Amino acid sequence: MSQIVLNNLSKRFAGVEVLHEVSLSIEKGEFTVFVGPSGCGKSTLLRCIAGLEEITSGTLDIGGTRMNDVDPAARGLAMVFQSYALYPHMTVAQNMSFGLRMAHRPKAEIDAKVAKAARILQLQPLLDRKPAALSGGQRQRVAIGRAIVRDPDVFLFDEPLSNLDAELRVQTRVEIAKLHQTLGNTIIYVTHDQTEAMTLADKIVVLRAGRIEQVGTPMHLYDDPDNAFVAGFIGSPRMNFLAANVTATGLQLGQVTAPLPALATTLAVGQQMQLGIRPEHLDQTDGVRLPVTVEVVEHLGATAFVHCRLDSGETLVAEQRETAARPGARLDLHFDIARARLFGTDGARVR
Amino acid sequence: MHWVVAVPMALLALSCVYPVFFTVNNALKDNKGYILNRFGIVQDPSVQNFVDAWGRAHLGEYLFNSVTVTLGAVVLLLLTSSLAGFALAMLRFPFRRVLFIVILASLMIPVQVVLVPFYRTMMGLGLINTRFGLILAYTAFFLPFCVYLMTAFYSRLPREMVEAARMDGATLLQIWWNIMLPMGRPALLTLGILNTLYCWNDVLISLLVLQKERTVMVGIAALRGEYTTNVPLLCAGIALAAAPIILLYIFFQRQIVDGIAVGAVKG
Ligand SMILES: Nc1ncnc2c1ncn2[C@@H]1O[C@H](COP(=O)(O)OP(=O)(O)OP(=O)(O)O)[C@@H](O)[C@H]1O
Ligand SMILES: [Mg+2]
Repeated sequence: MSQIVLNNLSKRFAGVEVLHEVSLSIEKGEFTVFVGPSGCGKSTLLRCIAGLEEITSGTLDIGGTRMNDVDPAARGLAMVFQSYALYPHMTVAQNMSFGLRMAHRPKAEIDAKVAKAARILQLQPLLDRKPAALSGGQRQRVAIGRAIVRDPDVFLFDEPLSNLDAELRVQTRVEIAKLHQTLGNTIIYVTHDQTEAMTLADKIVVLRAGRIEQVGTPMHLYDDPDNAFVAGFIGSPRMNFLAANVTATGLQLGQVTAPLPALATTLAVGQQMQLGIRPEHLDQTDGVRLPVTVEVVEHLGATAFVHCRLDSGETLVAEQRETAARPGARLDLHFDIARARLFGTDGARVR
Repeated sequence: MHWVVAVPMALLALSCVYPVFFTVNNALKDNKGYILNRFGIVQDPSVQNFVDAWGRAHLGEYLFNSVTVTLGAVVLLLLTSSLAGFALAMLRFPFRRVLFIVILASLMIPVQVVLVPFYRTMMGLGLINTRFGLILAYTAFFLPFCVYLMTAFYSRLPREMVEAARMDGATLLQIWWNIMLPMGRPALLTLGILNTLYCWNDVLISLLVLQKERTVMVGIAALRGEYTTNVPLLCAGIALAAAPIILLYIFFQRQIVDGIAVGAVKG
């Protein structure tokens, strides 16, 4: 049985609906990531699950119990906030033990739990410090420690890495992944960063404007996106979209004619489509040939991003390992039509 | 420092220090010594005026009343205003804004306007001539400003801290006591000092509520006779009444200066 089940959950703020009938189930022990552009309702959805926002309509079940009107503390959840929300006047140890102290747990139990969390997160030397005397990464760990101490069934994270610098972000990301392996709890994690989503998630939930666009494993969303939005959002650099026109012989891409990919749908001649090609799939020497003009080359060391322009004026990015591309020069890109994805002009996937 | 700044500053400082000097200087004279030499420095100082003020003029008892009432009112003000500030700044409930505006509006009603209904209410509740009545009266009159300041102060704190505490299972009262009260320290200190001054120095409300007993400021006012006034005795009384406040100032000097910055918080 799924641990968390949302059924047609909607949320309205003063008459404005920001979540539209979201339905979702999350399995026990699963690492679920909510991802989507800013303002799509990720935080709101997480806060509805946490109990910090009231659910306008629909239901939320956790562990088989209806939780719509249950107090946040009684839902068996712990949350790590984006701003960490540490209590500035308390030491690290006091911050972590706050919930247990408020519940009047025995001192021995509190000390044991704080010590255990401190060990897992390597916070032992910092226990007597106040948050102001900690670095960003350390504060982050204290916030996670405060959640661990409560021994929750489910961890909720709202953009926990967004206040860290790039290097620390990667490091902390790995630590969170390890933590999930050690503790095995269910985790719901909100981010707008698709790399975090891809690297951490067992299951990604892509949201747009208060609706779920697609749910699936990272590789499933990458390989088999339901629509152009998901295809563009997952993967970096983002997928290239080229206007395509269905002809009797195949797909017309500007001057180039590509064969039709294998489809279950029959297309009408003259139909307008979008062909999605991932930048990393433009690094081969055979397949459909796309002549382009190189505009900018970004060398990243192992690979390079080649920004090009087609003769039709459309731009696209190719990710190449060894590139001879020079700005201003002509270049032939090749791709395998079987790896490209076809979408209607409304963005819906055509399979 | 340049003299253009230094001279006016020195004059300003003098204008503050001179009355203190005048009071203490004359408090040490006897009545005759004062009449013969009003502004000169005391010749043979004596503490007799202080003894008289403390005992014969009952200032000792009055001081005790003042301390009780001021302490009671300030503690009550700080507790209620931080509770109200917490609710208004952090919690969501219907008519929150309306309530805040009503409280703000009540800031603009001068005490004098409501004296008659105030007095009748106090009579009706049987609170006339009780120290508790005066504590309640001070709390009522000074509360709107305190609530306003605490709300403004708490509004600047991140709401996520309260949410984190709720996730941690703390009740609202636990959140208030364990988080909001300690976090509100700078603002509460400012309010504590300000209200101590207001309550201590008040004559009007005290005169209405405590008619048999007196607070020290009313007691001093009563030392002035209709035709003659024993100025050295009055000075001794004033010095006695001012001493606790001056001590308080010396003790909390730094916090008072810091507190001025808290007052500059926007709503
Ligand atoms: N308390 C609120 N009152 C009114 N509208 C709100 C409130 N909280 C959020 N919203 C609106 O709900 C929508 C979703 O907000 P939400 O914070 O969930 O977005 P998000 O996906 O977390 O974005 P971000 O990545 O920027 O954090 C936004 O349009 C926002 O303006
Ligand atoms: Mg958010």
